[in-house]
Amino acid sequence: MTTLAEPNLGNGRNKGLFNNMTGFSTLITVTVLLLAWLAGFASRLFAVIRFESIIHEFDPWFNYRSTAYMVQHGFYNFLNWFDERAWYPLGRIVGGTVYPGLMITSGSIHWLLHALNIPIHIRDICVFLAPVFSGLTAIATYLLTAELWSRGAGLFAACFIAIVPGYSSRSVAGSYDNEGIAIFALQFTYFLWLKSLKTGSVFWSICTALSYFYMVSAWGGYVFIINLIPLHVFALLIMGRFSQRLFVSYSVFYIVGLLLSMQIPFVGFQPIRTSEHMAASGVFALLMAVGALKYLHSLNPKGQWKQLLIVGGLVSAALVFLMVVFLTYMGVIAPWSGRFYSLWDTAYAKIHIPIIASVSEHQPTTWSSFFFDLHVLVCTFPVGLWYCVKNINDERVFVTLYALSAVYFAGVMVRLMLTLTPVVCVLSGIAFSILLDLLLREDELPAAPVEPNDKNLYDKAGKVKKRAPEPTTQADFGLGTNVRSGVLIAFMILLMLFSVHCTWATSNAYSSPSIVLASYGNDGSRKILDDFREAYGWLSQNTADDARIMSWWDYGYQIAGMGNRTTLVDNNTWNNSHIALVGKAMASNETAAYDIMTMLDVDYVLVIFGGAIGYSGDDINKFIWMVRIAEGEHPKDIHEADYFTEKGEYRVDSEASKTMLNCLMYKLSYYRYDSGGSPPGYDRTRGALPGNRGFKLTFLEEAYTTEHWLVRIYRVKKPYEFNRPRLPLAKRTIQTSLTMSKKTSKRRKGVLKNKPTLVKGKKLSKL
Amino acid sequence: MSLEIESMVRYASPINPAVFPHLTMLLLGIGIFFTAWFFVYEVTSTKVSRDLFKELLLSLVAALFSGFGILFLLLWVGIYV
Amino acid sequence: MMPAMAKLQFCVLFLVYVASQCGGANVDVVSSAITVKNVDRTIDISSQLVKINSKITFENTGKSPVKSFLLAVESSSKSKLAFIGGKDSNNKDLRLVETTVKGYDNAKFWRVDLKESINAGSTASAVVETVYSKALQPYPTAITQQEEQLVKYIGNLYFYSPYPVTSQKTNVILNTKTVENFTKVKPFSQLDGTIAYGPYTNTAAFTEKELLVHYKNNSPFLTVTRLERLIEVSHWGNIAVEETIEIEHTGAKLKGPFSRYDYQQDHHSGPASVRSYKTLLPASASDVYYRDTNGNISTSNMKVKKDSVELDLRPRYPLFGGWRSHYTLGYNVPSYEYLYYSGNEYLLKMRAVDHVFDDMQIDELVTKVILPEGTTNIKVNFPFSVTKLPDSLHYTYLDTKGRPVITFSKNNIVENHIQDFQLRYTFPRILMLQEPLLVVGFLFALFLCVIIYMRLDFSIHKSEHPHKD
Repeated sequence: MTTLAEPNLGNGRNKGLFNNMTGFSTLITVTVLLLAWLAGFASRLFAVIRFESIIHEFDPWFNYRSTAYMVQHGFYNFLNWFDERAWYPLGRIVGGTVYPGLMITSGSIHWLLHALNIPIHIRDICVFLAPVFSGLTAIATYLLTAELWSRGAGLFAACFIAIVPGYSSRSVAGSYDNEGIAIFALQFTYFLWLKSLKTGSVFWSICTALSYFYMVSAWGGYVFIINLIPLHVFALLIMGRFSQRLFVSYSVFYIVGLLLSMQIPFVGFQPIRTSEHMAASGVFALLMAVGALKYLHSLNPKGQWKQLLIVGGLVSAALVFLMVVFLTYMGVIAPWSGRFYSLWDTAYAKIHIPIIASVSEHQPTTWSSFFFDLHVLVCTFPVGLWYCVKNINDERVFVTLYALSAVYFAGVMVRLMLTLTPVVCVLSGIAFSILLDLLLREDELPAAPVEPNDKNLYDKAGKVKKRAPEPTTQADFGLGTNVRSGVLIAFMILLMLFSVHCTWATSNAYSSPSIVLASYGNDGSRKILDDFREAYGWLSQNTADDARIMSWWDYGYQIAGMGNRTTLVDNNTWNNSHIALVGKAMASNETAAYDIMTMLDVDYVLVIFGGAIGYSGDDINKFIWMVRIAEGEHPKDIHEADYFTEKGEYRVDSEASKTMLNCLMYKLSYYRYDSGGSPPGYDRTRGALPGNRGFKLTFLEEAYTTEHWLVRIYRVKKPYEFNRPRLPLAKRTIQTSLTMSKKTSKRRKGVLKNKPTLVKGKKLSKL
Repeated sequence: MSLEIESMVRYASPINPAVFPHLTMLLLGIGIFFTAWFFVYEVTSTKVSRDLFKELLLSLVAALFSGFGILFLLLWVGIYV
Repeated sequence: MMPAMAKLQFCVLFLVYVASQCGGANVDVVSSAITVKNVDRTIDISSQLVKINSKITFENTGKSPVKSFLLAVESSSKSKLAFIGGKDSNNKDLRLVETTVKGYDNAKFWRVDLKESINAGSTASAVVETVYSKALQPYPTAITQQEEQLVKYIGNLYFYSPYPVTSQKTNVILNTKTVENFTKVKPFSQLDGTIAYGPYTNTAAFTEKELLVHYKNNSPFLTVTRLERLIEVSHWGNIAVEETIEIEHTGAKLKGPFSRYDYQQDHHSGPASVRSYKTLLPASASDVYYRDTNGNISTSNMKVKKDSVELDLRPRYPLFGGWRSHYTLGYNVPSYEYLYYSGNEYLLKMRAVDHVFDDMQIDELVTKVILPEGTTNIKVNFPFSVTKLPDSLHYTYLDTKGRPVITFSKNNIVENHIQDFQLRYTFPRILMLQEPLLVVGFLFALFLCVIIYMRLDFSIHKSEHPHKD
């Protein structure tokens, strides 16, 4: 009873639709899964309904841009795409530095629909891809749970994963990111792995490898799979659960999966060259050794082989381990990467990689966010885990390991909450299934459905009376009817609260496109602040096609995606020193910054300034990270302490330090800013009156500022525009010495000192 | 130029757009019912008990109703085919 | 075969028609029998267009009746001419045929055929309307944010006529008192907002004298550089219209910085900039959308009026000189407004171009009409001469062999070109069933696949326990 489509050949006498239990339960299973899909899809549409069908945030814009590129130019051109619009002047080899699974998925959907003459724009496919995949995730979770426990538990798990905020946070409509499809691939791979482990069939192992291949192509989180499955195998070996099935499924999976994963250009030879992947090959070698010893054992099954087996296994394990250590020492295998270290040591990133620490989703998880993302499931999943451990078998070892490792990772990084969510749903599904088994054993009447999301309850009742449950030998016969119905009602209310919370959390916390902001007036009226698109639209229409825009890396993908202009740094933070250079320019005074900007050929500078509307995610608030990153690369020029007051406070008002008040970021944010709150020029975000006001800019001029001052774009002047007035040549030859000396003496501060060649060159040409 | 505009009649939709939602609901509802019936039949019947005529009949009815239902769904949401 | 033949036939007919319209085959001579007795000219340069309205009184000084007369446009401004039209004294449209006159190769001529000929000695009057686009030059060509926009108009002080003119008067409407400089040829007078020249008597034929007015003009100088209008006809009762518009501020360019502070403080800041403009849509328009490649443009208002839907469109940013923007505007109209039928014959009567903003000028217009699949015998009547582009096929929902697309384009369009084209075609109504049947067939094929799948057995060996739990 594991697959849906397979007919039950045994008992179909076909006496009608509803007195046939197989047909009935299949129908209900399909219906519940479809409803889960629908609920999952619908609950992710808040952003589309409130705003519009639009790509959200930052990374999705890059994914969207490359998908659009692939659709336009074809797959092979995409693989060879060198993007000269990013990381000016370095450029970026996009085809070799992305996980192409996402683009290929939506690209093939686009291709298929267009082959059927359905002219859906690629943007809409990208926007709705994650919600559609959430339904597939629900089905994969159902299959996985059904494999682990029972179909009823599977339906519970499917309904949970469809709406749980921990997953919908990454898969709302418009959040077009790798995680949206990767969770499906993750769950499906695990399902296939358990399936192949159960059957020991090569077919299922190859399916596992293929699914793993899809996961590798979709997300860097595939490392989780390639470490968890070997860990499972290793645990089984230690527990003495070696079997031919395990041997076949793991060796086939490992070999095929390894070969397939190396086909992804971005992954390349990493699976055999880096420490992250060494566990898999080590376990493979160990499994081979154990298999060989077992074979020898089977030739002469006598007592003394037992010790040899254990000793041999231990020796081979030690050998494999030493081999890996040796190879790492020799430099054949790359050691752990910094991002991996930060998983073990939470303070590591803060000290060594500020660029990782500056991202909010890399912070350690707080307790409240566990509850916020998982609600009641966080309390029930230990129950499921306990039952799994209690009735252990090969598969349940897996889910136990999965749960323990995922809990650890989720505790280290907020972002990895995502890998915890599926297993929590699986285990909670099991817990709820057990509970209902207990409560409804004798009740022939199905419990009334509470609400559409919980339709599965109805089904559960039907299932329970039909099928003998998994061995749960607790003494549950002492429960009276009143206790049963009381507990039942309590849990129904709990589930109802859960779905209310899910809807609420998805709607309020995770459904903001973040490029369109909404503010609410006192009368409840909604006002849309569309400043980002205003600015990007302005850039795309009114600047030269090859104009280079300098901004902090957060906005790189958006500028490239919406403004279609060249950026210096973007959210693919592969080059720390380049980012540090931009940070240094922002943190320096105007003159020093001008040197950096001319060196980098910058035409426009874009800053985000939230002071007028009280938007807290603006550049001044991020500024301290720019300083830190710049200091990391240029410790001589930038000192973090200079930007704080003597008391060590980060301020922008008149108390602020002189360096702070004169740095480029500060000036660009507050240049001619006199509107806003009741005292003109009041900064609402920081609740202070800027300390340096009324200044003039020498090397830049305001090119555009959006309606609510959120985005400010400055044009970098060309040298002739500030060095001297533009006079007709004939006039200049007469009065050169007089007018020039006057002008330059006024502006001598820095210009002439730092750009002597330029000025002299001009003068020479005149003389 | 066979006909002049004066002799022609204004062209309106053969089906009033106001009833598109109702038609969609009705036709799709019936279509889904028959589809479900069809699949349940497929799952529950065995090789021995399966009746090709019944299968074809069920699927044809399901396809007819769902097909027209989908058409009106498209028209309802503004995709004028 | 029939449709192809019809198409070919139509193309030939069309070519002949076009040739007769704008071919240089026509040659006329200037009749010496006609003199222009009086010309009353109004030159409206208060917007970005130059609209010249001339009331002309002809006199037949010859012996025989005259059936037609000639209109001329001087060589300096013929390239800027967007529209020319004439009306007789009963306010009926006159037919203008482009022609040439020997010896005057530089100028452009039209022959106007009168309904009733002018008898010897008698007079007749006509009103000629000409519209020129891009005839006003911003001067200075670049201004700062706070400055007013000054433009220069250079025209002809006299009515350019192939016939001698006895008496003429010209009124130049500026709608502003700020005039830097203007041609002073007596007699003239300047009242607020207008300059009146004349009457001048007895000017010879083809007289040209420069008329220069340099004045303040802050009206929006917006040019639609390209407009693509897509009309999709559905026989399920809907016509979808989508216009993709590229727009540019072609007035004086913005010099120096743009300051949001100045722009916000003073509502009169940036007098030459365009914050918003109004587009009029048909009264029955519904489901209006206004967006660009980055999504919805949330800054627009819609007002439903009695005879139209008024859209107050605000681009994402105010348009200063030299700034560009682009957007897509779309809406649905019910088919009974524009589609007529009789049996299987259909006639679509729709505007070839619609209102974008008042006093608009469009550099390039491309109109595409998508007809239902299975349409044959397509014939089009254009209200003005256009360039017909090759027909193509368009594939969309539930199409098999594609929908025919009729495409035509025209350059230099102004409001006077908002006229209907007529498109006739044959469409068998039974073909409307094709689309639902396609879906039905597809679904049925799916069901058949399931039926067949259930009868297949893929397993290598006979499994004794098909279900092991």
